[in-house]
Amino acid sequence: MNRQAFIDRLRLGLSGLPAAAINEAVADYEAHFAEGAAAGRTEDEVAAALGDPARLARELRAEIGLKKWEETRNPTSAAGAIFAVLGLGAIDVLVLLPILMAVGGTIFGCIVAAVGVFVAGGVVFAAGPFFDPPGGPAAALLAGIGLMALASSAAAVLTIIVVGMVNALVWYGRLHYRLLKPAIDPAQAQA
Amino acid sequence: MAEAVQVQLKKGVLELCVLALLSSHDSYAYEIASRLAEGIDMGEGTIYPLMRRMQSDGLVETYLVESPSGPPRKYYKLTEAGKASFVAQKAEWAAFSRAVENILGDA
Repeated sequence: MNRQAFIDRLRLGLSGLPAAAINEAVADYEAHFAEGAAAGRTEDEVAAALGDPARLARELRAEIGLKKWEETRNPTSAAGAIFAVLGLGAIDVLVLLPILMAVGGTIFGCIVAAVGVFVAGGVVFAAGPFFDPPGGPAAALLAGIGLMALASSAAAVLTIIVVGMVNALVWYGRLHYRLLKPAIDPAQAQA
Repeated sequence: MAEAVQVQLKKGVLELCVLALLSSHDSYAYEIASRLAEGIDMGEGTIYPLMRRMQSDGLVETYLVESPSGPPRKYYKLTEAGKASFVAQKAEWAAFSRAVENILGDA
């Protein structure tokens, strides 16, 4: 593989990342080829010593994805971190996918249920007093507020659970795979 | 199996090795990669994701130096945090390898 083929495969592997990040990575490897040429090595030798560009792209991509999750906690960066860890081949997808789907499905169901309860609470609160409920209009108002509060707290707990699970996944990926903190890093050992 | 163990071992000490190289003098990625490639037989390309992470972790910082051959070189130097991390990891490694040696010695 020559320099151009290496860079092309690297770019392909990094596609979708911000242009600045891609250019920076490509510049690093271009410089490596230039240094190698200055040291009298052929492009093929340098490319062989660098290793598989597709794998290097996965590592860079994962590093950027995990960093983003650590900086901003939102659904997009969580998904990015999960896919980055999966992309590394850090976790056997066949083992993880059914678990992720089961857990993800359950949580999604709970979130839908929480939204449903919230809406139901709103209906009871708004419409209940006009339908002559048992215990009078005040009871319907209170019941509605109660249902909405219940749904809100359930949603908050679910959010905490989801954040915790993504963190656990990232931690696992980091612990087991390259670019990850060394196994002897004391902070990791205690984690 | 033996290969998998080797890969894991190397990954574990890669950052420590880079910290050690940079603690003696500032260097650029190609030089670090060459040293690691001949020393512990690492793929040279691995250095770039590693340097990126070490930089974002604040262990190293970069500056540019004119090169006799081609474009300016990006040199890496240890930050104060990097120096502290090197001292700590070196001690960890010494303790760890001593413990392993002890166990292996008994076998």
